[in-house]
Amino acid sequence: MNVLRAWIEERLGLRAVTGFLAKKEVPRHKHTFLYYTGSSILLFLGIQIVTGVFLAVYYRPTLAEANTSVARIITEMPFGWLVRSVHSWSATFMIAFVIVHLLGIAFTKAYRKPREASWLTGIMLLGASLAFGFTGYLLPWDELSLAATKVGTNFPKAIPVLGAFLSRLMRAGDDVTGDTLSRFFIFHVSVLPLVVMALLGLHLFLVQRHGMSIPLQEERKNVKVPFLPFWPNFVFREAGVWLVLFGLLLTVAVVFAPGLGPQADLMAPAPEGVKPEWYFLFMFQALKLFPSKILGLNGEMIAVLAMMAGFGLILLLPFIDNRPFDRKGRVITGLVWAGLASTVAMSVWSLL
Amino acid sequence: MKIPHSLFSRRVFLNSLIGGWLAALGAAFISPFLKFILPPTREPDQVSVPLAEVKDLAPHAAKAFSWGNKPGLLKKNDDGSYTAFVTVCTHLDCNVTFIADQRRFYCACHEGWYDENGLNVSGPPPAPLRRLAAVVEGDAVIVRKPG
Amino acid sequence: MGRPCLYGGHVGLEPAVMSERRLAMAAIAALVLLSSFASGMLETQVQTVPQAPVGPAAAKTPGQGTVAAPRPAQERMAVGVLLAWVWLSIAVLLGLLRLRVREADRVFRFGLDRAAGKTHQDPKP
Repeated sequence: MNVLRAWIEERLGLRAVTGFLAKKEVPRHKHTFLYYTGSSILLFLGIQIVTGVFLAVYYRPTLAEANTSVARIITEMPFGWLVRSVHSWSATFMIAFVIVHLLGIAFTKAYRKPREASWLTGIMLLGASLAFGFTGYLLPWDELSLAATKVGTNFPKAIPVLGAFLSRLMRAGDDVTGDTLSRFFIFHVSVLPLVVMALLGLHLFLVQRHGMSIPLQEERKNVKVPFLPFWPNFVFREAGVWLVLFGLLLTVAVVFAPGLGPQADLMAPAPEGVKPEWYFLFMFQALKLFPSKILGLNGEMIAVLAMMAGFGLILLLPFIDNRPFDRKGRVITGLVWAGLASTVAMSVWSLL
Repeated sequence: MKIPHSLFSRRVFLNSLIGGWLAALGAAFISPFLKFILPPTREPDQVSVPLAEVKDLAPHAAKAFSWGNKPGLLKKNDDGSYTAFVTVCTHLDCNVTFIADQRRFYCACHEGWYDENGLNVSGPPPAPLRRLAAVVEGDAVIVRKPG
Repeated sequence: MGRPCLYGGHVGLEPAVMSERRLAMAAIAALVLLSSFASGMLETQVQTVPQAPVGPAAAKTPGQGTVAAPRPAQERMAVGVLLAWVWLSIAVLLGLLRLRVREADRVFRFGLDRAAGKTHQDPKP
């Protein structure tokens, strides 16, 4: 074993990496559990890649066969229903943890200097995760996913100047067709994975470079925070967390395996109960609420612009919250709480 | 028997147990994943060819049919019975063709020849063409696996 | 001679040949791996041949939604066994991890890894 290690070390010189990891420290305080959120996302991403590849082995991304190939996977292939169920649930778990991770960073203000770039790449990763969910949702090509995609690719039209172009780019034309499916498929399996790999690489490098952030609340106390060695103390704890998450995922996937709706018909009227995945519900509800005209301007446009402004604020949060220890910082924390509460409220409202 | 020193340190022992059980957990997933990746592609138990299609064939003439995913050939014999072949070359799986006027099967991939009974007579094919049982039942010829 | 090791407070020498401990570890590992692989195979073996034709056995009228529940009874049992094995393994592994974490915390708290560093270089704690 040691001979093998020496052989690899002589050629790859990984001592720089292993040496660094051996010395890495994790601060120990009331909010240490938040440090598990990031790696949990990685766990689910890994599961998505594996199950995604397995699904792609039988999935056929054409108008004629998409729905039937998914039906074949879940009814004929051994354990196909389970692979698909895990993929579907793991998407939900992953995005849920991305949001929890974001909230953890926001409330502990881990984005403050020098970690602004980590936040920026993180928000871009959030966008990529949502894009994964959006593109993946269309692939079974059933009634609900077609309707959700029509709505989803329609509302960028409300953006002034670029809107119509963006919508046509997403749809491959004016309408959702088989070309839209092909486009979404290649984004889902090729473009987005490459983008995520690049962003993730940067994000992880930055996190290692800066080390784990100490929450604002702890830094305020001005006492030296105790720490845990990353290897092996933190890693073995993390392994336990991963195991439990994996077990939960598998159990939920077995018990609540999703089905498949009837094949989408491009000419048929929209089915009842059209709604997007849960992470888009708040946007869905917001669009429903806005009146069609505000002060003579297109209501939908105002809604979309307001949402974009909101995302812009989230993206630039580290630069807005430049005095996190002062009153301004507390106000911003309050606003983040308010934002969270209203998003949850809107999401729940859309289901009633 | 007492040994002067411990076989393992506590750390190594625990690491090994954890690693081992993790491997065991992973191993339980190998089989389902393999089953998913390699689903059984089963041949049909039998195929029914309507008699109307073949009853007017002259002896030594043939009609193609589908044996699941593979091509098949139904050949009429002198006595009015039928012989069924799976027209897949025994060399490297190319589809073979039946040249009626020569009463031979020919595989274009590597110029393999079989006689009208499917016996490999020339070229690389190592074995005769696979035969199936063909019996007339009612208004159809039922092709089954032999035996 | 084998490399020096710390055994219960004193420095001893590990036997140089394929020591008993390596043999024991390898045997245990092989046994556990083999048995769990075998169990995995067995649980899916149950649903080989009948699988393909029985497959979409539940009522599925064309044009209606398909419900994805485990279909053939054998596959349902296989998944049940898999789930039980997963949770059993998680329970066992959590217990083992707890022991290992305690060990690691103990080592860290008493500075044992730094002390050991003075007698030998063991990169794997």
